[in-house]
Amino acid sequence: MLVQLPGGWNPLLGRLALDQIPYDNPILAPLFVAVVIGTLVMLGLITYYRKWGYLWKEWLTTVDHKKLGVMYIIIGLVMLFRGFIDGLMIRTQQVWANGPHSSGVFGAVHGYLTPFHFGQVYSAHGLIMILLAATPLLVGFMNIIVPIQIGARDMAYPYLNALGLWITAAAAVLIMISLFVGDFAHNGWFGYAPIFELQYSPGVGVDYWIWTLQLTALGTTLGGINLLVTIIKMRAPGMTWFRLPIFVWTSLSANIIALTSFPALQVALGLVAADRYFGSHFFTAGFGGNLMLYTNLFWLWGHPEVYFVILPAFGMMSEIFPTFSEKPLFGYVTMVAASFAIAGVSWMVWLHHFFTMGAGPQVNSFFSVATMLVGIPTGVKVFNWAFTMYRGRITYSAAMLWAIGALFMLLVGGMTGMMLAVPAINYMVHNSVFVIAHFHSMLLVIVYAIFGSVIFWFPKVFGFRLDEHWAKVMFWLFTAGSMLVFVPMYMLGFMGMTRRLDYVFNPAWHPYLAVMEAGIAVYCLSVLSFVMLLYVSIRDRVKNRAEADAWGSSRSLEWLTHSPVPFYNFAVTPHVNARDEVAWRREHGLDGRQPDRYVDIHMPSNTGMALYIGALTFVLGFALTWRIWWLSLLALVAIILLMVIRSFRGDDGYTITGAELERMEKDALRNRTRADGKYVTDGLGQLAGAAMAYSRNSPPMGGNSSSGSQSGI
Amino acid sequence: MSSHGNTVDPKKTVLWDAEYHGHDVISTRSLGFFLYLLSDGMIFATLFAAYGVLSYSHNYFGGPTPSQFVHPWYTFTQTVSLFLSVLAYGMGMAAMKNRNRGGLISGLLGALVLGVVFLCLDVHDMTDLARQGITIATSGGTSAFIILTQVHAAHIFFGLIWILVMVAQVSSKGFTTDTVGRLLSLRMFWHLQAIIWVFVYVFVYLWGYIS
Amino acid sequence: MSSVRGYLSGFLISGLLMLAATYMAATHAFPPFGLLMVITVCAAIATIAQTYFLLHIDTAEHNIWNTVSLVLFIPLFVLTIGLTWWMFSQLYLHTMPAMAGMH
Repeated sequence: MLVQLPGGWNPLLGRLALDQIPYDNPILAPLFVAVVIGTLVMLGLITYYRKWGYLWKEWLTTVDHKKLGVMYIIIGLVMLFRGFIDGLMIRTQQVWANGPHSSGVFGAVHGYLTPFHFGQVYSAHGLIMILLAATPLLVGFMNIIVPIQIGARDMAYPYLNALGLWITAAAAVLIMISLFVGDFAHNGWFGYAPIFELQYSPGVGVDYWIWTLQLTALGTTLGGINLLVTIIKMRAPGMTWFRLPIFVWTSLSANIIALTSFPALQVALGLVAADRYFGSHFFTAGFGGNLMLYTNLFWLWGHPEVYFVILPAFGMMSEIFPTFSEKPLFGYVTMVAASFAIAGVSWMVWLHHFFTMGAGPQVNSFFSVATMLVGIPTGVKVFNWAFTMYRGRITYSAAMLWAIGALFMLLVGGMTGMMLAVPAINYMVHNSVFVIAHFHSMLLVIVYAIFGSVIFWFPKVFGFRLDEHWAKVMFWLFTAGSMLVFVPMYMLGFMGMTRRLDYVFNPAWHPYLAVMEAGIAVYCLSVLSFVMLLYVSIRDRVKNRAEADAWGSSRSLEWLTHSPVPFYNFAVTPHVNARDEVAWRREHGLDGRQPDRYVDIHMPSNTGMALYIGALTFVLGFALTWRIWWLSLLALVAIILLMVIRSFRGDDGYTITGAELERMEKDALRNRTRADGKYVTDGLGQLAGAAMAYSRNSPPMGGNSSSGSQSGI
Repeated sequence: MSSHGNTVDPKKTVLWDAEYHGHDVISTRSLGFFLYLLSDGMIFATLFAAYGVLSYSHNYFGGPTPSQFVHPWYTFTQTVSLFLSVLAYGMGMAAMKNRNRGGLISGLLGALVLGVVFLCLDVHDMTDLARQGITIATSGGTSAFIILTQVHAAHIFFGLIWILVMVAQVSSKGFTTDTVGRLLSLRMFWHLQAIIWVFVYVFVYLWGYIS
Repeated sequence: MSSVRGYLSGFLISGLLMLAATYMAATHAFPPFGLLMVITVCAAIATIAQTYFLLHIDTAEHNIWNTVSLVLFIPLFVLTIGLTWWMFSQLYLHTMPAMAGMH
């Protein structure tokens, strides 16, 4: 049943052997040493400051949607950095390995990366940026903001939420492990049939790629279900559909896409796995397989996925523009309709990724027209944002700058997207770096929106604003870097440079490549300024303390509760009277009003189960990659067993009494008015504690909870 | 929005709703599970799309086609056992409505036994095919045929584990919000397998046999 | 709804339809295309009966969202299978004229 493998395999360790560790690689070996030292230092610091208990109780076992969201965002930022380093390596290789006279080191004929290593770098870059940077960052924001915006205490399924996070984390660990144990896929992030078949890619790289993608798909599907049900079922009284903030609407449409499209990815990769593990012939060149079927199934997911990541970014922009224009969003209903139009059309355009397959004029015309249709709702959105700013009282704060940058990138990316939607043009620039520049413009929309949101919602989550000056420095550096990298890339695309070149044959392109490399240097500066931004903001956190309404002109419900948000979100469920409830209350002089009585509320208990299952999915992915069958089976059985145990135990949650709530609320209000900010001055370790300032000291654990463990703060 | 601003009386406006107790647990849970099932349906839709592409005559690479190895009446017994299993589960649910724990458990056990029968028939069919040299590695066409039918069988397998767990939970805990909610979710899961089986049976087995 | 009668009707309708489809397929009662149409109709009716009697998908207020989500999903199932089938049949038509046509 299982295929015969070339190379070694033994029952105990599968394909794992010492020679799979790239200790002789001049790039990976020092990196590995650095990672080990860094990890040891971090573990040492945690032990030294006795933070294990805190880490376990407050973060690792939490089911609080805000903390889970923060962890999603941390994963996203770390992976964004990793993906950026991959991008830096790609650009450096291309500027170096240019022309027949370019030098070569580390075993490469030209440049410093061998073709095989270069292939792994660009594959990892794409996969990481889309599925482990953009997706977790957006999911993180949806996790934190959506429940508060609809006036809920938590997600519909807090435990499932934690499970989704830990499975995503397992995927991130799996792809990071591939750096140091074995190798990664060299077939591009979306894979090509039949090069990923076992006979052409006998290593474990493709298997790492399969299981990393499968885990992210699983995590995102679980998160998607959770958000959909939360939005449908958990809205506060009075929060009718057409009072929902646009970010909630775009999250809804994005997660509909996620829920419906990720199964296609799972099937596509499952069939690749069947080919590689069982010797089936889905995508083989012979034996009745069809290699274009893979491309079809992959983009069946891949295109909707593009809109899955862009829609929440649109939602973020729709929150930032009105706040800093001090006007309601222009064209609310059309914005909602446009989001759903984009989501709907996203299901009819996927062939535009392979126009050159040759399905013929009818098919190409249909998908071309459908693709261009996307321009209509997107155009509606662009005009709505422009009209929101028109005659508004605009504050050019850092968040607003990022949002405007996103709008600009959307114009560039959207226009070039329209060009690519024309099959005749597409045939000319297919697989050229023009396509790369186009979709990087689109993904930059997301990056801009995300950094805008980091600045916009940071005070809501952590209780203090980020430093405006450094946020703006970072914005301008990032924008300069983007221009320097991607404008030459568009030009090179027109000149016919194809993507993924480990050796650029034409010396005439060197000036462009050099400008792009300079852009990467500017990007590096913007990364440094981000670090600086965090440092300065944390240093000045007392000065930058934020009120409930951190910007003074905020509109939606998340600004009604304290900053930082207490773990129960709202002590008493708000009654929603208007779209933009906070702006409405402010305009009618009702802001700052507190509830007059508090009743008992019910909260879910913490549990380590999600962490265990997430860790086991990592073990499963690792064991499958290395074909360690006993371990795969063991991990699978353990996962099922843990799920059964959890279902027997259940979660009764715990109750916070009205009196306790009232006390915590009074504390929160007193802290808010206290200028000295004493409770946030205990150094970095306390920062996160302050972020969740009203956490309990010992949240009850699931299963072994007794009512006696409920101490107040 | 500020146009009707003057009509708002702060004393009469409801700003908080202390008595709001949120959603109904069971219906929230069943909606989430139903959404999962729909995404599961999407897995089958994608597999059907793959099967559609890989069921042209050239996809069998000159090897055996379903018209040679499918036996409609044999597979019909699988259909009957699965439909009966679903019926037994339904009877169990009807018993639950009358808070009849014994009736529910016998319904679940009936569904379990019939599901095992279905799986045994399937495994027998597959080993029989393997004996004739028709495996997942024979051709693109048989790969698609076997993966599609066996993914369905895998769903039945995990459903059987779940039924066992529920038998244990109902025996030990009785009817709680948790167990009733899970039984309702399992009902949807089990009945959806029957619906998907209709497609698998008609479009893979029967159509494969005809053409 | 979730009465014994509902489950029995679901079972009987779909069971009998599958019986009829199997009989017609096994005996090759019609030419292939006609047979395909007939068994497709059988499958469609059986599916609708099961969705109604077994899954209890209807417009009752307590599970309206299940119905809404199903209605939203069905076009996607159709698009996935239909557009894939269409593009590949066109591809075969243009690249492998001798092999065009199902089976």
